[in-house]
Amino acid sequence: MIVLRDVRKSYMLGDVPIPVLKGISISIERGEFVAIMGPSGSGKSTLLNLIGCLDNLDQGEYHLADTPIAGASEDELARIRSQRLGFVFQMFNLIPRINALRNVELPLIYAATPPEERTRRAFRMLEAVGLANRADHVPSQLSGGQQQRVAIARAIVNQPDVLIADEPTGSLDSHAGEGIMHLFKELNRSGITIVMVTHEEDIAAHATRVIRLRDGVIEQDARR
Amino acid sequence: MRIVPANTWRFVFDGLVQSSLALRDNGLRTLLSILGITIGIASVMAIGTISKGGNYIVLNELKTFGLNSVWVYRANDVKDPNRTLRQGTGIEVADLKVLGAGCCPAVRRMSPIAYTMGTARHVIRVGNRFSNAQMFGVGTDYGVINNDGLSAGFYFRQEDVARRRAVAIIGPTTRDDLFGPGTNPIGKEFYIDAMKFTVIGLLEHKSRDFLASIRPVEDANNRILLPYSAFHVLMGNQDIHAIQAESLSPAHAERAVTQITAVLDGLHNRRYPYKADTMQAYIGTADHILRGVSLVGVVAASVSLLVGGIGIMNVVSNSVVERTKEIGLRKAIGASQAHIMFQFLMESVMISTIGGTLGLALGAAASMVLAWVTGFPLIPSWSLIFLALAVSIMVGILSGYYPARRAARLRPVIALRYD
Repeated sequence: MIVLRDVRKSYMLGDVPIPVLKGISISIERGEFVAIMGPSGSGKSTLLNLIGCLDNLDQGEYHLADTPIAGASEDELARIRSQRLGFVFQMFNLIPRINALRNVELPLIYAATPPEERTRRAFRMLEAVGLANRADHVPSQLSGGQQQRVAIARAIVNQPDVLIADEPTGSLDSHAGEGIMHLFKELNRSGITIVMVTHEEDIAAHATRVIRLRDGVIEQDARR
Repeated sequence: MRIVPANTWRFVFDGLVQSSLALRDNGLRTLLSILGITIGIASVMAIGTISKGGNYIVLNELKTFGLNSVWVYRANDVKDPNRTLRQGTGIEVADLKVLGAGCCPAVRRMSPIAYTMGTARHVIRVGNRFSNAQMFGVGTDYGVINNDGLSAGFYFRQEDVARRRAVAIIGPTTRDDLFGPGTNPIGKEFYIDAMKFTVIGLLEHKSRDFLASIRPVEDANNRILLPYSAFHVLMGNQDIHAIQAESLSPAHAERAVTQITAVLDGLHNRRYPYKADTMQAYIGTADHILRGVSLVGVVAASVSLLVGGIGIMNVVSNSVVERTKEIGLRKAIGASQAHIMFQFLMESVMISTIGGTLGLALGAAASMVLAWVTGFPLIPSWSLIFLALAVSIMVGILSGYYPARRAARLRPVIALRYD
């Protein structure tokens, strides 16, 4: 599903390039639940952004579902994100002005899905995350855990191959965090590949594979 | 920008919905930025109304001289009035026979005009009622050429001219002065000096208020028209001061002048230089003045629209900055550059269009007030409304383009990290 070969990425600090990823090679199979861990500055977020096609890599190769990603244009990346990827963020990133259902619908708008089908599918996703009765609530009327569930519904509404999660429990208490992990495992069982960045060991423990980064290289890659 | 979904209508509609979300958020700021456009469009509307109404009034008043009228008269380049008098007017009664008989293909009909020249005063009176009307000696076609309708009685006939009959057609003010307001003057008699005239026609009321405010014109309602032959008897001369003719159409005016002048040149062996005026030239002048006035207004309105456009650019720029993170999120979940560009461009177009619509309403109200104050007629103009809306949409696109493009080009990683 995801194949990275000797991926390098550096950021410019003024005129000086700062290498962040120094040759990463990973292969993630369909249906895996991968946690990426590492101290801050280890490059785990950069790696997640590359996998999520939010950023382009400097060197190396990246294939997502057999499609080469390196060197793709902005709009090709947008199409891949729309069709293959779902995102969950630490801060939920729901649009505050619109209710839960409309938030979940958004990816379908960008995928040009017909309106009736959009609403139907968005509602089904809210049911799947257990928030059907909160469909017309705006984000500020929902608890953190509920907001993250809406965000998850949004991430999976277009049936992505891969769910990209950046510290999905980072803003939640441990109880709500456990609930989210429960949901992740359920999604994973239904066939969605999950790549998640976290710095909490007990959250990472839910994954089937843990990749530890340090200073831009893989320190440990352990399957359970 | 290449990814425009197959279903363009859905793309447009969804884009509009997403744009409208933001407008509700920033109600006050949106409203304030709308003001510039509103004022600009309102001024455009008001200027349009004024210039249209003005045009209408001027044209309507110019019509009182006959829209196809041309005037030919001897050019007076001699400064000594006595010499001018001795040299004659350049048009003689005998010329009229030649001029009348279909001499000029571009001319439909013509009439001689004789004025009261010099300082001699003529007393016009009935008993102890006096009139200061201006007198004209004219031909039988003068009424048609000069657009002079009659509200009572009849016009001169050929017979009246041939027999020098002492008959007169008088204006409404003259009627009021001589016979009292509202009376029927037909068949009544009055004196010019010692000569008795019978009223056979009453001229319709003519409005020349606007023209009179620009340059002195004769008071159309205080005139006495006499057969030029009878006028000659009254004056004791044979002077014809001008030929007023009606050309076949406005486009024939210049040709009519050339043809009449050529006939007169032939008759008088090129002894006199002639001058001519045409209604077309007057209309052109009036148009020119009105256009000048409109231009000043258009410049002022443009400044207002420019300020409004900058205001909108500011609002949309702010909106882009404030929603950087949202743009990142939208991109992450699949929005293309075209989606984001369209969303913000439409936000700006919506603001400007709302502003433009409010401006239309305000402009309509202002036009009504202006029409009421100036007495100009209110002429609704679809083309003006269409233009105003088109202009406001244009302002929206122009002022929204830069911030929208900046939003579309934001890199998702950076946008998502923005706080």
